[in-house]
Amino acid sequence: MKEIVKTNGLTKKYGENLCVNNLNMTVTDTSIYGFLGPNGAGKSTTLKMLLGLVHPTKGEIDIFEKRVTDKNRISILKDIGSLIESPSYYGHLTAKENLKICQTLLDVPSSNIDEVLKIVRLDKQQSKKVSAFSLGMKQRLGLAYALLSFPKLLILDEPTNGLDPAGIHEMRELIRSLPQKYGMTVIVSSHLLSEIDQLADNIGIIANGKMMYQGTLSNLHDTDPSKTLEEIFLDLTGKEQSL
Amino acid sequence: MIRLLKCEYLKTRHCFIFPTAFAITAICLCWCLYGDVDDEIIKYGWRMFLYQFPLVNAIFLPLLSMVIASRLCNLEHKGKMQKLLCCMEKRGKLFDAKLLYGLGIITVCVVLMWAVTVIFGVVNRFLGPFPIKLYLLYFIFTLIPTVVIYIFQHTLSMLFKNQAIAFFTGIIGEFIGIFSMFLPSLPFLRRMVLWGYYGVLQFVGLFGWTKESRYENAYFDLMPIDWTFFCVLICAGILLYLIGRYLFCKKEV
Repeated sequence: MKEIVKTNGLTKKYGENLCVNNLNMTVTDTSIYGFLGPNGAGKSTTLKMLLGLVHPTKGEIDIFEKRVTDKNRISILKDIGSLIESPSYYGHLTAKENLKICQTLLDVPSSNIDEVLKIVRLDKQQSKKVSAFSLGMKQRLGLAYALLSFPKLLILDEPTNGLDPAGIHEMRELIRSLPQKYGMTVIVSSHLLSEIDQLADNIGIIANGKMMYQGTLSNLHDTDPSKTLEEIFLDLTGKEQSL
Repeated sequence: MIRLLKCEYLKTRHCFIFPTAFAITAICLCWCLYGDVDDEIIKYGWRMFLYQFPLVNAIFLPLLSMVIASRLCNLEHKGKMQKLLCCMEKRGKLFDAKLLYGLGIITVCVVLMWAVTVIFGVVNRFLGPFPIKLYLLYFIFTLIPTVVIYIFQHTLSMLFKNQAIAFFTGIIGEFIGIFSMFLPSLPFLRRMVLWGYYGVLQFVGLFGWTKESRYENAYFDLMPIDWTFFCVLICAGILLYLIGRYLFCKKEV
């Protein structure tokens, strides 16, 4: 299977603090990759490095089988949608006006705006100022930004943060439908095993910046059938409080 | 770049950036031009303006630069937009587009101030022909320091989320700039700070003024232009732009 994302020895150091340590990550085509780890494990930093928002101290990143460099970064990113940490928005503008800015920047058809607003179910609130949105609505707007160009790869960093149970369910269903409907590959990060369990085809578990496990959930379970997935995850991460 | 400038325009809708800029310009013009036009003003008007206005410019134009740069950049910080935009476009281009857009607003305000001043002189029939060469020089010597100050403010506002840093630095610089104009015996002071260059590039002086006779024997005359420091200012502008752009491109979001 085609490898959409492949990192080789990816490392990020802030002073003496090793945030991501020699990380080798492989994400295959049209799959959902769950990136799991406790808070502060290095998930967001890794995803930011994939997007070029943070410069790696060491290591290589290949996306769509191309080595990412400063020169080709933007042309590769044109095919990537992202939602990192909290959603981005201009509060004084409406949802539609917000998306119009990105549509202009990405140079994609303006019909995409209405389409993504429908997908994230914000079409009825498109004329409302974003500052008046609830956190869940802002999160959905963030997803709309990410989907705007119907990218080949979607990177979502804790997309269910701040959502109520109904919102989490809705978001999960939406993410699950993306590979089949639009042929997208999705990387979702979370610190909740239950969430990733219901979403991902493959998972990567990161703790203290190191990749502790990479593969399918069933294979992870097979490593010790006497234990629950949660127990195996805790053994790997060594941080009970994170769950 | 046109696409990026269009985006900048779309971002600034409903956030009163243009009315704010025009309000500051209007206050500046009122300060300069409000009052009775007596014989003295009609007689010396053209040169008197060139003598008096650099001081008013040193008060209002850095303030205008500070406010516009801060408001434009804060749009990105408030909504955490940088991390999204940096995934869509080269950082250098984002920096340039916002800088150009802000400089466009500033230039429109400076042109407006200049044009209103000229029209005021023509309407009030100031004595002598309109000294177009001097006023073109005045325009350049007003615009260039403002552009350099704007580049500095833009860099600070883009780099720091907390806009108080840009405001605080701008206010301190502005105070030094204004006070340096009252200390002609310390020319190095005004040459050391960007905000003092409205004074450095002032080329009309008041001569013959004494405490006793006051304006009785006073007259306005041309002074030599400090071209060396004009070049220094331009170099400082280019350097600030390059440093600011480099730091923004290196910044982790």
